[in-house]
Order: sequence, then C-alpha cells, then structure tokens
Amino acid sequence: MSVLEIRNVTKSFSTTTAVDSFNLTVGDGELVCLLGPSGSGKSTLLRMIGGFETPTSGLISIDGEDVTRVPPEKRPTGMVFQSHALWTHMNVFKNLAFGLKLRRLPEAEIRRKVEAVLELVGLGGYGHRATNQLSGGQQQRVALARSLVLEPKILLLDEPFASLDQHLRERLREEVRDIQQRLKITTLFVTHGQDEALALADRIVVMRDGRTEQAARPDVVYREPATPFVAGFIGTMNLVEGAVANGTFKHSGFTVPVPAGDGPATLAVRPEALEIASADGAGMARIHRVTDYGTHAIVDIELPDGTRLKSMTGEARDWSHGQPIDLKPRAFAAYRDNAAIHRSN
Amino acid sequence: MTTTTAVANDIVGTKRGRWPVGLLLVAAPVFLVGWMIIWPIISAIGRTVWLPNEGGERSFSLETYAFFFSDQYSLNNLWLTLWTTGVCALILILICLPISLYLRFAKGRLAAYVQGLAIFPMFVPSIILSYAIIRVLGPNGTVDLLLNSVGLPKIRSPYLTPWGPVIGLVWDNIPLTVLILLSGLGAVSNQSIEAARDVGAGRWALLWHIILPRISNSVLVAVSFTVLGIFSSFTLPYVLGPAAPEMMGPFMQRTFRDVNDPTMAITQAVIAFGFCIVFGLFYVRSVAKNRAA
Repeated sequence: MSVLEIRNVTKSFSTTTAVDSFNLTVGDGELVCLLGPSGSGKSTLLRMIGGFETPTSGLISIDGEDVTRVPPEKRPTGMVFQSHALWTHMNVFKNLAFGLKLRRLPEAEIRRKVEAVLELVGLGGYGHRATNQLSGGQQQRVALARSLVLEPKILLLDEPFASLDQHLRERLREEVRDIQQRLKITTLFVTHGQDEALALADRIVVMRDGRTEQAARPDVVYREPATPFVAGFIGTMNLVEGAVANGTFKHSGFTVPVPAGDGPATLAVRPEALEIASADGAGMARIHRVTDYGTHAIVDIELPDGTRLKSMTGEARDWSHGQPIDLKPRAFAAYRDNAAIHRSN
Repeated sequence: MTTTTAVANDIVGTKRGRWPVGLLLVAAPVFLVGWMIIWPIISAIGRTVWLPNEGGERSFSLETYAFFFSDQYSLNNLWLTLWTTGVCALILILICLPISLYLRFAKGRLAAYVQGLAIFPMFVPSIILSYAIIRVLGPNGTVDLLLNSVGLPKIRSPYLTPWGPVIGLVWDNIPLTVLILLSGLGAVSNQSIEAARDVGAGRWALLWHIILPRISNSVLVAVSFTVLGIFSSFTLPYVLGPAAPEMMGPFMQRTFRDVNDPTMAITQAVIAFGFCIVFGLFYVRSVAKNRAA
C-alpha cells in the first residue's frame, strides 16, 4: 500500500501564499492529476511532496509515515522534471544506474534493473547512447525510466510533456498511463493541459490560488463542474451572467428554466449541449460565424446584447451568417456564490 | 521565377558585400597579435638558436639551452617557479571552489557581500598587496605585534621564503578563479541537481558525481589562466620571494639587467613560454571541447 496524505499544507513565500490549507489523499496505485492555471500552486505542492520545498505548515505522509521534513534524497518518491534534467556527462545507462549505485546494489543487479526499465519505456538497447543523441521524447522516457528504476512508492511528474510537440505528447501520455497501470504505482501528475488531465487521470484535482476547487473523476469534473471557475477551465464552456426570476434564467432574450430562488446567477452550458434551431421570427439570437472542422462545426452565436456563445453541430452547411435562431440547452448548470444551484443533465 | 532569382541574387550579393567587412574587422587584431606577439616569439627563438661565433658570424646553436638545463641554479629557479605555480593552482582551487559553490547556491545579502569580498583583490595593485603582506606577515608586522602583546612567540614569517609569493599570488588570483568557476557552475541547472537529490544523492555524491564533472572544463580553464598568470608573474615574487632560488620573472630581469646577458634572459623567456604554452593548449582544447558540445 502506498498512500499519500496531505493534511492542511500551506506554503508561503514572503507575502505570497502559494498553497493554502491544502488537503488530499491519494490512494494506492491511483493516478491523480493536479490541474490548474499558472500560479495555482500545483508545482509548489508537487515539490513539497518531493521534498524540494518545506511546507510552512501542515503534514505530508506516505504510508502513514510523516515525511514533511524529510530531504528529497531520503524520500520514497521519484520525480520527473519538465526539462528532463538528464545528466549530460553520463550516458543513458549511467543516468539510470546512478541512483542504484548510490544504494550500493551489486553490479549485475544494477544492469538487470536498468535493462528491464529501458525495455519498459521502449528504449531497449539505448543504454550506451549519450543523452544529447536522443530526441525530446526519448529524453523524457529516460527521465521517466530514471525514476522508475528506483521503484519509488510515489511517482511525481511535473508537466513532463510540456516541452514536447502535440503528437509526441499524446503518444507519451498513453505510454505513461500504460506503464503506470502495469506497475500500479501511485502517481501525481502536474499539468495545466486539461486534455492531458482528462485522458490520464483516475482523479483530477483542479487548483486555483493554492486551494482545491474540485477533486473528482475526470467525467464528473467535465460534466458536473463544482464552480464556475472549473466550468470555465475544463474544456470549452459558455458562461452567461444573468439572473433567475420566477424559475427562469434570463439574459438578453436567452431564457432557460432554472428552478432556483430569485437572484443573480451564472449559466454554464457546453457547446455540444447547446442545441440551435432555426427561428421563424427574430429568434433568441443570430449566427455570427460558422467554422467547419470536417467532423463537426462550431457555430458562433451572438445574443442581442452582443454576448457570444458557441454551439457544436454536426453539419456546417445548415447554418449561415445572420440567420435567426433559437437556443435550447440540453444540459447545463447554474451557479450562484461559487456553488451550483441547479443542474440539468 | 524572376522574383525568386532576384531575391536569391540579393542574398548572395549581400553576403558578397559582407565578407570583406568581416575580414577587415579581424585584420587589425590579427595584425597586432602578429606584430606584438607572434613576431617577438619567432624573433626570440631565432636569437637564442642563431648565435654569433667569435668571428661575429651567426650559426645554429643550442648552447644557451644546454647551459640553462645544465646549470643547477637555473634549474632550481625553474623548479621553484613550477612548485609555486602548482601549489598556488592547488590552493586556489581548494579555496575558490567552496566560495563559488556557496555563491552559486546561496541566496540573500550575505552571498552578495561574500561575492564582493571575493572580487575585491582584483582592485588592489600587486605592489600595494606586496607591502600589505610585508606589514602584516613580515618580521615585526601586525601579526608579530599581536602575538607579542599576548605573550606568544613570533611566527616564522613567510616573507622572503617561497611561501611569500604563494600567499600573495593566491590572494591576487582569487577573483579570476572565482569568476571562472562561478560561470561554470551557472551552467549546472537547478533541476539536474534536484534530479540527483531525488535519486538519493547526498552532498558529497552531488559534488563528486554531478557538479564536478559538469564544471571540469571551467576548472581546467581556471587552472590554465591562473597557471599562465603565476608562471610569468614578476612583482609579487620580486618583492616577497627569496633571493635564491628565485622565480623565472625576477630571474629573467636580473639576468638581463644585473648580469647584462640579454641572450640568456631571452633563453629563459623562451623556456618559460614553452611551459606556458602547454597550459595554453589545455585552455584552447577546453574551449574547443565546449564549442563542440
């Protein structure tokens, strides 16, 4: 069992609080993505788990053992850095063997472990190569292998694919997921890429200003965002500021039934959940632009007050600029005071 | 097609227009190096191997070199110079590496003060430094007076011993060595150090396996620079060093002026140059290696 527990962890840098009373429990073999915009505290949190930063207050424990003030070299964690951080004066084999040599393992065992991990990351036979002879993707695999070879209890990945191109990033994240599931290693993955988080994670923790906005399964975070921030941060979301009166949300001619108390509200509806239909008269809105992506089309809609919304449809040719339309959200959520007051799925 | 050709011609024309400017820019320093360094070297070597005989006619001879390498006094002077250079280089690395490591990894005001102190000797002329050392460490200097005031015996002063120039030269070369090592350490990224700590490297393992191999070129450059400077130093060995044996700098000056033997002085200079060029080649090799990497 490798369970990571973070209890009320706060990290302050002079006047700035990077992580604020953060709580999280990561279960054995679970892959948790810390997702958030730049400055949300996700990397600082990861660095505290890895031992590279000391929390101002709070407790970090691994398998019930308090590691809050344990230095990184003595922690059962392995970190993969964004910049690979390979040692260029060592070849691939030596990069991987370094940690094992420090543990004074026999030479034969070191060789066996290194070769096994190189095979695991698809770099069998690359041991003799200089690290600067490898591509960006290969270098990142070596960095991953360097952590895995030590069989850490917790694997920490700090935006490991940020410096790679889109194609390679997609391929590597699938490989990382496969390896993680095969080894059943408890993993924390920091990213600001929502696609990456949705594709990889067992659970996503959305962070903002050092705090948790929502911690849930990817499908829940996507379909039932807890706050307007999460709704706006994950995927594309139409966020409309308006008011609920007599069970109806209204904004510039756009009306949606919301059975909640009267007052200001934010309506969140995804483009794929916003149906559009030709209107006989003036309609709720007009079409501003249609972008055809082949497999689907994105229709930019303009409400009478100029507010823009997006709708995803199957056919671009059905719609044209200026066409009056009516809007019918199939699934949506309404928020007030940073909390959902109604959901319709 | 016409446009493409015109653009291509334009680029070629621009390149053609540039190359004489580039050559002209390097011509002046190349000429100066040739005139003031290369030619004197060739001339000096020529004057030491192309010697006049009794009749005044010049012929090839290695007589002066044979004398130097058979004369015990000259060999003692060469040995003292090599010893001083080696000891200084070793002490400089031992002193400057910890300072540079501290400056690389420490943050805050204290680190800024330490850096200021480490660079300070650069602004003190050698002659001032020499007399400061005499006043502090010389016979009846500050240290002696302080020891005497508390009833302790005098120290054995390094002044006029081989250790006098060593102390002065080390102090004088600290800034350059620290700056070179610091620049090398700047190339060692924080993440590569954190990655090493992450796999279990403690301080010594980090220094030995990660930092030192990454700054080996900088250490080589620092050693080459300090060796070149110390081997050909004059003021500090002249003022602080022993009368005999003496380092090559004062030895050359004395041979030239006091003994009035310019050919022998030039021979000593060529021999000193021969040793220096070995270290110069280390430096050139290191720079070439860096560029290739």
